[in-house]
Amino acid sequence: MRAPDTTVKAAAPVIAFDKITLAFGAKTIISDLSLEIGRGEIVCVIGPSGCGKTTALRVAGGLIPPTKGTVRLLGEPMAGPRRDVAIVFQDYAKALLPWRTAAGNISLALEAAGVAQSERGDRIRDLLTKVGLAGHEDKYPTEMSGGMQQRIQIARCLAQDPAVLLMDEPFGALDAMTRQGLQDEMLAIVAETGATVFFVTHDLEEAVYLGDRVIGLLPHPGRIGIDQRIDLPRPRNQLETRETLEFLRLRRTLFDFIEKAEH
Amino acid sequence: MRLSRLGWLLASFAVAALLVWGWQLIADYKLVSPVFLPGPDRAWGALVKGFSTGDLGVKLLATVERMFWGWLIASLIGIALGAAIGTSPRLRAYLAPMLEFLRPLPASAMIPVAIAVLGLSNGMVLAVIAFGALWPVLLATIHGFSAVEPRLYEVGRALGLSRASVIWKIALPSASPDILAGMRLGLTVALILSVVCEMIAGRDGLGNWILLAARSFRAPDLYAGVILLGVLGYVTAVALAALEARLLVWRSRAR
Ligand SMILES: Nc1ncnc2c1ncn2[C@@H]1O[C@H](COP(=O)(O)OP(=O)(O)O)[C@@H](O)[C@H]1O
Ligand SMILES: [Mg+2]
Repeated sequence: MRAPDTTVKAAAPVIAFDKITLAFGAKTIISDLSLEIGRGEIVCVIGPSGCGKTTALRVAGGLIPPTKGTVRLLGEPMAGPRRDVAIVFQDYAKALLPWRTAAGNISLALEAAGVAQSERGDRIRDLLTKVGLAGHEDKYPTEMSGGMQQRIQIARCLAQDPAVLLMDEPFGALDAMTRQGLQDEMLAIVAETGATVFFVTHDLEEAVYLGDRVIGLLPHPGRIGIDQRIDLPRPRNQLETRETLEFLRLRRTLFDFIEKAEH
Repeated sequence: MRLSRLGWLLASFAVAALLVWGWQLIADYKLVSPVFLPGPDRAWGALVKGFSTGDLGVKLLATVERMFWGWLIASLIGIALGAAIGTSPRLRAYLAPMLEFLRPLPASAMIPVAIAVLGLSNGMVLAVIAFGALWPVLLATIHGFSAVEPRLYEVGRALGLSRASVIWKIALPSASPDILAGMRLGLTVALILSVVCEMIAGRDGLGNWILLAARSFRAPDLYAGVILLGVLGYVTAVALAALEARLLVWRSRAR
């Protein structure tokens, strides 16, 4: 179970955005954004399309350096991508190597980390089991459904043994049933590994269901408009949690926020 | 699926047999003078005789070797150069106009230049073949490397892959369908240029065999050479297609 360990959280933010500004040429995408995410926290990020959610995630992952300000990871300034920060991309079909099987795709992360070949087989089997794909190691991505492909990508990220999971609308392209299944699987995995999660989504219910906190971004330029604690008890349940008054109230708050942000 | 492929195979054999039979009829009824068109029976006879008592086997081997080495050199240079150009937008911007200018030049137009520089040597022949076969490989490789999904490079960065690993494990496999297609084209060009060079520069080989047979009106020998060229082209194409199918299993397994 996830223990809301407030003492550790207060002690060391895992991710800290310190007055981040990011501009592409003359266009400022993110302006003066500060944010601290504690250990084991699941922070969901919402906001109107084009407000800079993906950009913020890419900055957190070290894929683009901020124009101003610093991102700190466990206290250290980020100089670029790190192996303990894993990124789950939205477009799983493009993020997997089509010429490698499920096992081969997961192996890529292990190869990058220098894991000996003799150890890779067992690790890969464990990871496949963890994402519910035991026995599918020899399938190519094109032979799998979208949900399975996204599971492979998640498994590859878990192979990095990440302290931080950055997820950019990972379930956005999946059908409702698959999405709910993956949400619960993700929560279980995160509870087990204790990873800190930065989860971008455009689905407000998903944000409330998954998050310990929901950050709402305002557009032009991107900045924080709302920072909402989600105190729904865990473990959460797709039916019961979504029917509680608190859930509906939070959903309403975020809905109103998005309404305003878009106008 | 299986059955229809077998059907097509049978049908194409039937068509081939029909053509040979038509050829035999034309020859038998002397619709074309036998000096120019011997029947398939006589061409076959010349082929068997060429192998058993003549040196047709040696000529065939010489052509195959020439084609193979020229193609191999072209492929290695084309892939290395294409990878460098394809992965660098700067190089691409500089070199693209020049490549577009050089590409349509027929390689056989290079033969006089090559003879002037290198003389009537084996080196000259190899240079011409490699030069001609280089273009399809080079251009396909450039295309393959520049069309790598950008997301995959990001995956490589996020995983902390070394630059060499990114090229070896991401860019090269991603470009491999294009590279193999370029190499298949390059092989055809290499065969054509081998024969042309043998004819022009008088190097020993099938090209020279055909030319000498034509000059001394040995039509059956000439046709034996042409048939052999056809078989050679066909066999190499089939071999490369088989290699491609093996290397690109992931493509045929798509749902
Ligand atoms: N590489 C880039 N160059 C220029 N503009 C970009 C680039 N990437 C994103 N943008 C712009 O930044 C803004 C925010 O994009 P993004 O972070 O993808 O938004 P979101 O994920 O919230 O929908 C958009 O207006 C987009 O056009
Ligand atoms: Mg986005």
